[in-house]
Amino acid sequence: MLRRGVSRRERSLREQHCGMDMGIGLWCLQSTATNPRAFERAYQELTEDARLAENSGIHSLWLSEHHAYYDGYCPALLPAASAVLAATNQLQVGTGVLLLPLHQPDRVANAANILHTQSEGRFHLGTGMGYRPIEFAIKDQNISQRLQLMNAGLDTLQATVNTPIWVGVTSEKAAQRAGRRGLGLFISGAFSRDVVNALIAAHRTAWETSGSPGGTPPPVGLLRNLWIVDTEAERRKAVEWVRSSYLVYAGLGWGADNTGVDFAGQIESSMNGVEASATIGSAEEIAEELDGYDVELVVCRIGYDQPPRNAVTEVVERIGHELVPLVKELGATR
Amino acid sequence: MRLLLDLRDVESHIDRRRLANEAEEHGLWGIVVTGPPGAECAEAAAVAALTDTVSILVDVDGNETHPTTLAEEIAVLDQISRRRTMIIFRGSPAARTKVADLLGGLPSDGFILSPPPAQASVPVYTPEDIPEAKLADNARQNAEVVDQHRDANSPFLIVSWNGPIKELARHLVGRAASPDFPQMIADLADQIDPID
Repeated sequence: MLRRGVSRRERSLREQHCGMDMGIGLWCLQSTATNPRAFERAYQELTEDARLAENSGIHSLWLSEHHAYYDGYCPALLPAASAVLAATNQLQVGTGVLLLPLHQPDRVANAANILHTQSEGRFHLGTGMGYRPIEFAIKDQNISQRLQLMNAGLDTLQATVNTPIWVGVTSEKAAQRAGRRGLGLFISGAFSRDVVNALIAAHRTAWETSGSPGGTPPPVGLLRNLWIVDTEAERRKAVEWVRSSYLVYAGLGWGADNTGVDFAGQIESSMNGVEASATIGSAEEIAEELDGYDVELVVCRIGYDQPPRNAVTEVVERIGHELVPLVKELGATR
Repeated sequence: MRLLLDLRDVESHIDRRRLANEAEEHGLWGIVVTGPPGAECAEAAAVAALTDTVSILVDVDGNETHPTTLAEEIAVLDQISRRRTMIIFRGSPAARTKVADLLGGLPSDGFILSPPPAQASVPVYTPEDIPEAKLADNARQNAEVVDQHRDANSPFLIVSWNGPIKELARHLVGRAASPDFPQMIADLADQIDPID
């Protein structure tokens, strides 16, 4: 259950079922070297995919942000989220994540509150710190000040925003900071189960030792690389899609200390780690695997560009029609 | 001259979206929307997602906003709206130039907008560039207002209108487009197909 900062309407929707919510992500709206396409098509497919997800019973769709990258990685999530919310009626939409130090927090707050109100509480504001020097340079910000900018931004958002706020983290220290604030945690799909569990524990402990702000434990959202397959040939193909989807992070230079993930310096071992933590199999196998995580939300990371369009739409439908009921069933059993 | 329906003062987002749809349905050339600083393009994106052809003029506050951020938001909006975005920019000339350059595909301080807008260049206007008229419940007066702006060779006119959108479209869109507008046909249409 989302335990803090949720609207009455959302809480009511959430109470109708047990277990974790299942979302899909990350929609980045790119035209990559591996799969060049028209941006207009990408944005059109975003709303089509959102409607498909909604009709398939999926909880949420999550968008992702970068700036000044050759492939047009979406730099402005709030207009994109607004379009998706307008095109749907039930689907929740989140930013996973908006790079807060690169924005003016009061502008973000204004837009978030508009989206919250107009969508009747279906918008989630996921935030992160950012790591690419060029992104800070083009916004005239000093990357060495990113933690201070992040903290100041969260102060503003917590004082002015009505929508649920999540924080994307890559370290236990960052998880602790989110926990102390009573904010939701959003965890990368690249991390192993051990790293995920350590982040969750750090978040929960910090929340508890800080006087439990908000009164109920803040939620944890977990990105997972997964794909529903029926045959060994499909499994091999899906593994390749997952591995190659991280090529973009090699280009972006992403890595996280003490997690075994460094797509800038150790791409092959990082991809091996991603492959090892990915869940590719039948819906039953995936549901069993996910049931081992103590999280409120799983975002199935399927929104990358290597799979053909029909494979993406098929897996969206299968997640909604096959995986979501199984996960609910397991949650109810627990 | 092309007419744009002003939705900036329409309080309810449900009404704004309904009126945007009606404007599109009845062939108005564009609509005008805005929002609190930072939410202008989000508001426009919602309208864009619910319409197909109507042009969307977005009134943005560029005074306290980083020009790169604003240009990124507009470029994404132009992709969402499929080339239907235009901008009224409120802010310093230097900031407007930077935003317009980025939206036109030019580098600024070594940075090139990515993604670019869908259009070759998103038009960026000052508030003074596009005249505005508040239309009243007086057909003769409204016709005179439109005639004046059309004859002054204004390419656009933003109109505030509280009546039925079909009435605006029937009587003033054609008049804005041409000095030869046959008012008699619009009047006859009112008899054949009264607008309720």
